Amino acid sequence: MLTSIILITLDLQNSSAISGLRSVFGTIFRPVENTTRVVTRPISNAWYGIFNYNDVLDENDRLREKVAQQEGATVAAAASVRLAQELLALNGLPTLAGINAVTAQVIGDSPTNFSQTIEINQGSQSGIRVGMPVLNAAGLVGKITKVYGDRAVVMLISDPDFALSIKVVNSPRRTITTTTIAKSNAAAQSPVVPVEPDATQDSEQSSTTTTTTTTTIARFTPSVTTLPATPSGVSSITVPLASDLAIRETGVIEGRGPSRQPTVRFISNAVRFGDIQAGVPIVTAGGSRSLAPPDILVGTVSRVVERLGSAGPVLEIEPVADLTNLSFLRVLLYQPITEKATP
Amino acid sequence: MIRFLAFMSSRWTRLVLMMLIVLSLQTTLFTELRPFGVAAQLVLLFVVVAGSINGVVIGALTGLIAGLMYDFILPTPVGLASLSLGLAGATAGLLLYFFHEPTWWMRLITIVFASVLGEIYYPLAQTVVGLDGWLQLRIIKVAVVVAICNLILSPIAIVVCRWVLAERKLPV
Repeated sequence: MLTSIILITLDLQNSSAISGLRSVFGTIFRPVENTTRVVTRPISNAWYGIFNYNDVLDENDRLREKVAQQEGATVAAAASVRLAQELLALNGLPTLAGINAVTAQVIGDSPTNFSQTIEINQGSQSGIRVGMPVLNAAGLVGKITKVYGDRAVVMLISDPDFALSIKVVNSPRRTITTTTIAKSNAAAQSPVVPVEPDATQDSEQSSTTTTTTTTTIARFTPSVTTLPATPSGVSSITVPLASDLAIRETGVIEGRGPSRQPTVRFISNAVRFGDIQAGVPIVTAGGSRSLAPPDILVGTVSRVVERLGSAGPVLEIEPVADLTNLSFLRVLLYQPITEKATP
Repeated sequence: MIRFLAFMSSRWTRLVLMMLIVLSLQTTLFTELRPFGVAAQLVLLFVVVAGSINGVVIGALTGLIAGLMYDFILPTPVGLASLSLGLAGATAGLLLYFFHEPTWWMRLITIVFASVLGEIYYPLAQTVVGLDGWLQLRIIKVAVVVAICNLILSPIAIVVCRWVLAERKLPV
């Protein structure tokens, strides 16, 4: 018992001797593990065949339907992403497009029931370092916690030790300004006519919606616009008011184990931020001290737990990535400035 | 030469070599076969069986060695698994004191109880060193599934453990 306590103390103080022992043991153990993996592969395949066959068939059907639904949306989303990246680049803001990434395959789960980690087949030889964010096609999966030569350990966002600063992108009640341009004077300066839609209505408003007052949008100078004419001879563009743009509040996401959803805490209870609804997206906050670049999708709000007093709400998050079924991942070779400065 | 042969034939050398195989099974086959979403704990089974066959001291030592090897492949601080497995091995040895001349089924009961306790020791140890968040109701389900898996696998483990931990004298 004393030996164990001494070892725990040494390891928590980042003893190089313990790291060396880990590395040596890993070198001895990996060939044994690889041999066992090859030998036991038929057994695990048989297990999956017996217990998971029907699940796989059902999942296959579900996925086919989902793919069909998302094919159209993907094209539009890709165009929007490219546009956003161009805008960010024009303004000198960091984008994911400028960060190199390494693709890795998941080669193992955690052998214990009290650790939410996975192992990937890329390590320090590929440039991976501790702390780098790991993504799949959907969004953030976790971060690198241990790196060896040819493999690394990823702590999933559901692990209770995981914490990362995030932004909650809340969209308040929307007010839409619709600019109507007649076909004959499409090249003229656009008259701005704001429209106040019902809170329950979607943003897709027709130009015939009741007109209320004429407003001047702060810092918005209507420019000469040439728009393609619609068959009815009238074109319209939709411009959100500055006050209606999504409001971002930062918080911290923390994992809570495999059976419970991660939560976001430290959201301020500001009136301006408004009520947070389920489905609101959560993205990484970025910043000079954050281990992840900004605007990586983490998940969506699934439940809001209000708290008394000035304490802000606690948000339960549904991760966009399916953490139980990970195969190929992308490790962003990103290190914040503070980490790079450290020798 | 004789010393080297004695070292190689000692039960502790056999234990380390056997633990390499057990660990490799744990990190490959038993991380994939997850009945009810719970990974069976072959290392814990081996330690608990060692304690129930050879008593408190051998159980604790087996737990320490096996746990240390397990620690080196886990992302958690080194010493946590050796602490919890050492305690599990000692617990298995202690539980046998309740039975006078234990029969095979008493040994199985000991293995089941020690497995439940051994699986709970680990999140407890994590909490003690500040890795909290694992003490949830889920550990009851985990402990029960692990205990059942260990009960099923214990006949094989008993045979292997007896062979590994048997004292053998070198012929002079």
